[in-house]
Amino acid sequence: MIKIDNIIKTYTTGKINLTALKGVSLSVKPGEFVTIMGPSGCGKSTLMNVLGCLDKMSSGKYVLNGKDISGLVDNDLAEIRCREIGFVFQSFNLLPRMSILENVELPMVYAGVPKKERREKALEALRRVDLADRVKHRPNEISGGQKQRVAIARAIVNNPSVILADEPTGNLDTKVTKEIMKIIQQLNNDGATVLLVTHEPEVAQYSKRIIHMRDGEIIDDNEVIDRIVF
Amino acid sequence: MNLFENIKMAIDSIISNKMRSFLTMLGIIIGISSVIAIVSLGEGGQNTITGEFEKIGVATIKITVKTAEAEKSDFITYKDVGQIKDKISYVKYATPYTYKQGTANSERKSKSAMFVGCNEDMYYIDNIELLYGRFFNNIEFEEGRAVVVIDETAAKSFFGTIDVVGNTINIGPTTSTKKATIVGVLKSQFGMFEGMVDDDMPAFIYVPGTYLDILYSTQSQISEMYIMADSKDNAEAAGILAKNMLMNRHGNRDRDLYKAESLMKQLDQINTVVGIFTAFIAAVAAISLLVGGVGVMNIMLVSVTERTREIGIRKAIGAKTSNIMFQFLTESVIISCIGGIIGLILGVSGAYLLGRLAGITPSVSPQIIIISIGFASAVGIFFGIYPAKKAAKLDPIEALRYE
Ligand SMILES: Nc1ncnc2c1ncn2[C@@H]1O[C@H](COP(=O)(O)OP(=O)(O)OP(=O)(O)O)[C@@H](O)[C@H]1O
Ligand SMILES: [Mg+2]
Repeated sequence: MIKIDNIIKTYTTGKINLTALKGVSLSVKPGEFVTIMGPSGCGKSTLMNVLGCLDKMSSGKYVLNGKDISGLVDNDLAEIRCREIGFVFQSFNLLPRMSILENVELPMVYAGVPKKERREKALEALRRVDLADRVKHRPNEISGGQKQRVAIARAIVNNPSVILADEPTGNLDTKVTKEIMKIIQQLNNDGATVLLVTHEPEVAQYSKRIIHMRDGEIIDDNEVIDRIVF
Repeated sequence: MNLFENIKMAIDSIISNKMRSFLTMLGIIIGISSVIAIVSLGEGGQNTITGEFEKIGVATIKITVKTAEAEKSDFITYKDVGQIKDKISYVKYATPYTYKQGTANSERKSKSAMFVGCNEDMYYIDNIELLYGRFFNNIEFEEGRAVVVIDETAAKSFFGTIDVVGNTINIGPTTSTKKATIVGVLKSQFGMFEGMVDDDMPAFIYVPGTYLDILYSTQSQISEMYIMADSKDNAEAAGILAKNMLMNRHGNRDRDLYKAESLMKQLDQINTVVGIFTAFIAAVAAISLLVGGVGVMNIMLVSVTERTREIGIRKAIGAKTSNIMFQFLTESVIISCIGGIIGLILGVSGAYLLGRLAGITPSVSPQIIIISIGFASAVGIFFGIYPAKKAAKLDPIEALRYE
């Protein structure tokens, strides 16, 4: 359950202040699948980063799963990123010197999961994204679509309640985009709350709810009509 | 996340950057290996010196007359030497010591010589090792007979062989040499430097002090003598008693004319000097360790910058500040420790190699191993903290955005 209230985020670069989020309020219930759309620079990534506890808001209130995030210190935020949230990035962000399996195991390392259990859970997560066979490879030895699957496996491996995906298909072609969206939809069906940023209207059709942003504000918020379900 | 996994991760990272890791270690390797080599050689040198002294006998005391202040009647006589030996129970051996330069020649060879005038006890006091024959005896000393003991090197140069007992040799001041019989040949005094001795070096010859007086027509004015106590512990007392006896016999108690020096004291002094010298060089080498530490910090800082994105990713998926801090700190400590271990191996082998050339058996003490490895890790921690802190404090979003 995500509830934000009048969130403001201001970047200060030298003397220039830029307000990327100008009072955003939003409520997302468990099991929802929300797409955020809007022109470049309107603040979508900024919002995702705040929701993902990667970035701190300048003011406003954020309650995640009943817990007030607003005043938390770095270590507590790390703990939340570790257990409550799974992040999927446009540029995959896998660690190049580790094998795929090790990449997926890493969040569990920080969560303190015992080694043996880690291996099992990582393989299980890789099975959920249909990638159980190439686990010993390095990320540079697999395709973009496969990399994004690894990144998704890594995001879900600690069983987070919320999955945040910032343009997860931005670097992928139509066919692979479909495969990735199928996986994300499946995760949503399995109970995860999903928030997704995209520029592609077709991608939004896989979700249940579309939010449009402009200039750091939400301008409309609708149910998806003619939703595509795999 | 446990220590073991952190170490494994650090090693993986070190291995995946072999060349850079090696270059980082280089400073530590050089620092540790030179400290270990120097300290081991220094300690080995001290042991060698101590060993040499023990061979001569640390129970040996040198008694000298302060010649500048002494009158003719104050000098030591052969009688004094005899009395000291007979009357002082701590004294086991006593010999006068006079020294003259001159010439020695055989039919084959003539060369300059150094004559040491002493009595038969010199054999024990100098711990002489004879190859052939014997040392001269008490009767030969008392009667001032023309007998000599020469060393192996001299024998070779005078006769071409070393078993020369019974041969005669002419000795004395260059203007008037006299015939003397060789009664013994001792082992070369030069030991490991044997090969460096050239034929023109003066011959080293033991002569009864009494005969040396005859050769040089001098009245026995002995300014130096050696005594050997029955044990190391009695050496000092023996020296004091001998000094007392000399003062009584010469009636010069009011003037402090005799000096008793134990070789033990000299040994301590030499060891102190060697110790200070070793410590000094080791300190210089330790500075190179600090430089090595700065090298570690430098590379770790580069590594933090290079891996900014990695740090961002780790933080995004849940790494705490402390996880990142510990990760980088572990890396620098492990790099330093591996450098320390390589340095240890190189240092010990270097010490043995150099020691072989210098004739010293290095002494590698466990302390120095523990200290140097400990020091290497301390360097790793000290110079690793700053880069690790820098890595840990990175903002996740900025780190992720870093290209
Ligand atoms: N670290 C930063 N410092 C200063 N300004 C920033 C920073 N990050 C983002 N901005 C600014 O904030 C605004 C919102 O950026 P944001 O990345 O959220 O846009 P976006 O909607 O994700 O755009 P895109 O679709 O291109 O990804 C932009 O004007 C951007 O320039
Ligand atoms: Mg964006």
